Amino acid sequence: MKFAVQAGGETIPVEVAGARGRFTVTIDEERLAVDARETGEGIWSILLAGASHVADVTEQDGVYVVDVAGERYAIRVEEESRYIIRTRGAQGDVGGQVLKAPMPGKVTLIEVAVGQTVAPGDGLIVLEAMKMENEFKAQVAGTVKEIRVTAGQAVNPGDVLVVIE
Amino acid sequence: MSAPFGKVLIANRGEIAVRVIRACRELSVKTVAVFSEADRESLHVLLADDAVPIGPPPAAESYLVIDRLIAAARATGVQAVHPGYGFLAENAAFAQACVDAGLIFIGPPPGAIRAMGDKMAARRVAIEMGVPVVPGTEQPVADDAEAARVAGRVGYPVMLKAAMGGGGKGMRLVRTAGELTGALRAARSEAGAAFGDAAVYIERYVEDPRHIEIQVLADVHGAVVSLGERECSIQRRHQKLVEESPSPFVTPEMRRRMGEAACRVAAAVGYVNAGTVEFLVDRDRNFYFLEMNTRLQVEHPVTELVTGRDLVRDQLRIAAGEKLGFGQDDVALHGWAIECRVNAEDPFASFIPSPGKVTGLRAPGGPWVRDDTGVYAGCTIPRFYDTLMAKVIVWGPDRDAAIARMARALGEYAIAGVQTTIPILQRIVAHPDFVAGRLSTGFMERLLAADRPEASGRHRTIALIAAALTAYERAGRPAPAEGASGGPAPTPGAWRQALRPDWRSR
Repeated sequence: MKFAVQAGGETIPVEVAGARGRFTVTIDEERLAVDARETGEGIWSILLAGASHVADVTEQDGVYVVDVAGERYAIRVEEESRYIIRTRGAQGDVGGQVLKAPMPGKVTLIEVAVGQTVAPGDGLIVLEAMKMENEFKAQVAGTVKEIRVTAGQAVNPGDVLVVIE
Repeated sequence: MSAPFGKVLIANRGEIAVRVIRACRELSVKTVAVFSEADRESLHVLLADDAVPIGPPPAAESYLVIDRLIAAARATGVQAVHPGYGFLAENAAFAQACVDAGLIFIGPPPGAIRAMGDKMAARRVAIEMGVPVVPGTEQPVADDAEAARVAGRVGYPVMLKAAMGGGGKGMRLVRTAGELTGALRAARSEAGAAFGDAAVYIERYVEDPRHIEIQVLADVHGAVVSLGERECSIQRRHQKLVEESPSPFVTPEMRRRMGEAACRVAAAVGYVNAGTVEFLVDRDRNFYFLEMNTRLQVEHPVTELVTGRDLVRDQLRIAAGEKLGFGQDDVALHGWAIECRVNAEDPFASFIPSPGKVTGLRAPGGPWVRDDTGVYAGCTIPRFYDTLMAKVIVWGPDRDAAIARMARALGEYAIAGVQTTIPILQRIVAHPDFVAGRLSTGFMERLLAADRPEASGRHRTIALIAAALTAYERAGRPAPAEGASGGPAPTPGAWRQALRPDWRSR
């Protein structure tokens, strides 16, 4: 099975074959014989060239966050065919920002109004989650087009909070 | 030794409830857990003798409802209530409600909680006892105008603190007059949400201080002893991440003086049971009384490992009216202990909470490694509470040995399903400043400013293999859930970049 793997700003072709712990993983045309076992859900034991590694894999927002020996990687894995379709059909960068709630929480403060111009770094909204207040700020310069929440409102992950054009 | 009580209710959850249950069991004391609807499968419920539901997930409707806790205590026939830390642990009304219900509150008397819970009154006590304090107000500031006047008089930078606060909530550093209004709003809002009292006071900010605290134990017979110090300078958002005992900064002479000051403050308010007196220490080793925490601390295990005392066991014995049974001269510190807090947070995204299901977990073990945990593989970290999952505590004959052991233990700790602080803890204990004992509360800001997740480290190939195999195995499963494919951003989500790296202090 062929994948397009994105990590650290690069897209790397990776092919995986095999089953039941024995795999051939080809990364950038380099073939690796891998003995890999998922010893707990998301905890992989990987033997590669005689060396023993443990990698913890947690999925977050469509990205695999992988911890290996104190190093952390954010990696997106897509089937190659889907990657090709998506990137061919992709539109150019629209230049705006759609701020979504990363986690469940409560809106404690809205710092902008519709029609207001914002600069990168301007505070947009404060979300309280797990007893801490987290401020989200503008990444781009633009105009606040929509505010889809009100102060005091509970939000779920993925809910659109603010749209900047 | 006979059991101090027949049965104890633990008015808490998570790792501290588990910790108390363990001490009780070792003393043949039966335990009653309480749990919200979000905690039915939490570890403390699984380990207790009895378990009583106390309401919906939000703490304000369960763990903070005094009447429900008292009703649970009555229904289960306990003699005493252990509050843990957080929630109602420093709530004098709860301690009083226990007393009124004929229950023993395993902690200080309500009057001592009240005296120390009012941070300004506590400052006045310290001043009366001849213990130095940081310059600031002795009353909460009434409004923005008064705050501006006070801050101007004390001199920027200043620290805003919740009058009824603790645990870093409702605290804000204000460097310039322009930041004051926004910081006051945030501090009041957080203080109101966390403590039900939005009062805020102002203190002079000590630049790059160390946070060093003294553990005290006092019995009902008038004995008060100090059990050495804990250095808690490694903090983020004013919440501690790494603690150790002893402190690499404290000399024996300083330890003696800080210990005496702590005991004086405790005795002045008629303190009984375990408590902690917190000090700020500047670069010239001057120490200033900050506050007294009238409860067991999260980081109590490091004191346990260097003193050989089980503090929860002592709490139970003291609450039952027993004598301490040892004096100040019997307290000696052996070796070095370090604790690291494993929180369900993403250290590379401003420590944003990461609740969810712990899909996989393998805890460290081996010589002199202690895992005080509230979680297990398959459990869910609810989004309603504190993010603390577990604490790794190690002991070594000296600081270097303890650091090496901590690095080893953190390396063994495998957790999947939620993000944790483990990667940042590994960086902290490997950092040259930490290894050299150059600690201050600004350590994390400096570390994080220079640090980010790997783009290409030594183990990139292994990470790529693990990610590709995860996708490969999931693709082979029937009806795979929404996978890690599609979507626009190849780097961690846009919201992470939208988070201010350290929004507290700008």
